[in-house]
Amino acid sequence: MTERLTVRDIDLDVLRCGAGRPLLLLHGFDPVPSHAPFLERLGAHAEVVAPSHPGFGRSSRPDAIDSVYDLVRVYLDVLDRWPAERVAVLGLSFGGWLAAELASISSSRIERLVLVDAVGIKVSPPDTPDIYDVFNRSPHDVHRRRWHDPDRWKPDFDAMADEELIAHHRNRESLCRYAWHPYMHNPKLRPWLGRIDVPTLVLWGASDGIVSPDYGRAYSAAIPGSRFELIEGAGHHPELEQPELFVDRVVAFLKE
Amino acid sequence: MQAWYLNENPYPFVPQEVLDRADSVRGSLPNKYCDPKIAADLFEEALDEYLLCDDIGINVVSNEHHAGINCLFGASPLILGILARQTRNVRILSLGTLITVRQDPVRVAEEYATADVICRGRLEIGFVKSGGTEMASGNMNPVGNIERFWEAIDLILKTLSHQDGPFSWEGKHYTHRHVNIWPRPWQQPYPPLWTATGDPETSAELGRRGMVNVLVFRGPEETKRAWTAYRKARAEAALPEPGPDRFGYAAFVYTGETDEEGMRIGSKLLWFLNTGLKSAPQYSKFLPGQISPQLAPGLYRSGGGALRPAAALVGITAEQAIARGLMFAGNPDTVVRQIREFQAKAGNFEHLVLASRSGFMTHDEATRGLKLFAREVLPRLSS
Repeated sequence: MTERLTVRDIDLDVLRCGAGRPLLLLHGFDPVPSHAPFLERLGAHAEVVAPSHPGFGRSSRPDAIDSVYDLVRVYLDVLDRWPAERVAVLGLSFGGWLAAELASISSSRIERLVLVDAVGIKVSPPDTPDIYDVFNRSPHDVHRRRWHDPDRWKPDFDAMADEELIAHHRNRESLCRYAWHPYMHNPKLRPWLGRIDVPTLVLWGASDGIVSPDYGRAYSAAIPGSRFELIEGAGHHPELEQPELFVDRVVAFLKE
Repeated sequence: MQAWYLNENPYPFVPQEVLDRADSVRGSLPNKYCDPKIAADLFEEALDEYLLCDDIGINVVSNEHHAGINCLFGASPLILGILARQTRNVRILSLGTLITVRQDPVRVAEEYATADVICRGRLEIGFVKSGGTEMASGNMNPVGNIERFWEAIDLILKTLSHQDGPFSWEGKHYTHRHVNIWPRPWQQPYPPLWTATGDPETSAELGRRGMVNVLVFRGPEETKRAWTAYRKARAEAALPEPGPDRFGYAAFVYTGETDEEGMRIGSKLLWFLNTGLKSAPQYSKFLPGQISPQLAPGLYRSGGGALRPAAALVGITAEQAIARGLMFAGNPDTVVRQIREFQAKAGNFEHLVLASRSGFMTHDEATRGLKLFAREVLPRLSS
């Protein structure tokens, strides 16, 4: 299910599954786990292509790739090379930011857009943070805010293999490299979301403590004609906590 | 030997239950616990100690940390401005301005040049890599810190030494199209340069650049390893062998009239390790970019290690600190002997940085210890 994709000098690790309409899946803080139940369900309706961002998972990261500016161009390249004319783009969390940047530059290759608990824009006044600080706050508090049911998702580092821990640390380092400052957003992005001219679904975990549902509503309000939907019983990662509800919503939207 | 006095000017007067409850005594402890009247007294005492050093032949060190009980000196150049005017004799080392958390190295260079002119060429410039809570309080990305460090140094040195009108810098991390500072520094092309590090790779680069390599609380083995890397890098680059003036060591130092007094008062310095280092995991072991991901498994598993070498020393006793070469304390004979023993193990060095006031040590105790060191220890180390 995994394959390699070379974009210029970057060697991307790509998870590919399912069949149907093409869907580019852009991951959040970590690459999508290959055994995640939502993948299989989604694969019944779409051909899912999920690269690990440069510096995440087993994807390489050349020195020159060190900003969201670079990542957006990597994925513009991916879209340009796609055999299908148009592709659905689904972005989770940090990947939602990338998806919103892509779609606001050009939607010529994008058929539909799904943003899930996306970061990337500034909504509140300067002294009110919109996005909980996953670097400067305690790992314990960050974990509790990420999940509707944090106890169920508590990582057991003692049980993880070296390779998993190395990947975990590298993912976090890469996220920090790209998103430390301005923290998890582009101050210029929000007004340009008005350029997005494809059907857009903004999906949000009702219990998300990293970016609140109100932030999601503001995100949706900035994208013309987009629809906002909540998923109950899910935090920042509804695709993992509520895979059935999540896939139902996404598939219903893709079929419209 | 040259002695250099360092008082980080900590603020220990926060109730212990507050410190116990806080996950970090740096970076996030609310400043309502810092009474500005007490802080003013502490600044006054620290500056008086520096003026005493000016009279008794001990050079002075200004450092910088942010937002914590460990150090009230939030801007080294500001303190340099005071020291440059108020001292008249000794050399003044900035160790250092946290250049990687400053937006514009050109301003740092300008401030250093100004201090060097005010003190008529008594300034020395030390660089420290920074990290930990400083990344949060300085709002700077911990990933890429070391790259910024070297680029900032390159820009500062060019700024200090360039004399022919505006030059342009368009680097990876810093851009400044019109660099032309006034005044230029007193010393040409710039003041002597130091860097604090125990990392052999960084020490090797210091060797190639000929900068003073100072190690802070690292013990003789790590010190020797760093200095060996320094010498080796110079040899490989076909550069002249470094003299002892290229090496420095910072330790807790307290000289008493008796061994008992030296130990009793000197052990108060360990507050720096036992109280002043407490740092939440997001600022320390889980801070991204500090170690290679290959070393990550040890960090995450139960009992996972500390990142800062000093953090592994929390809870250490005075006897242990002395045995490990982190502290020199006792009567003058004992202090001389401990320093000689350290030199025998680590290698000869010319600069001894005296971390000789910390925690609840009083101004009076610090003053007595410094006077005794200057009178009874320093002359014997220099002979």
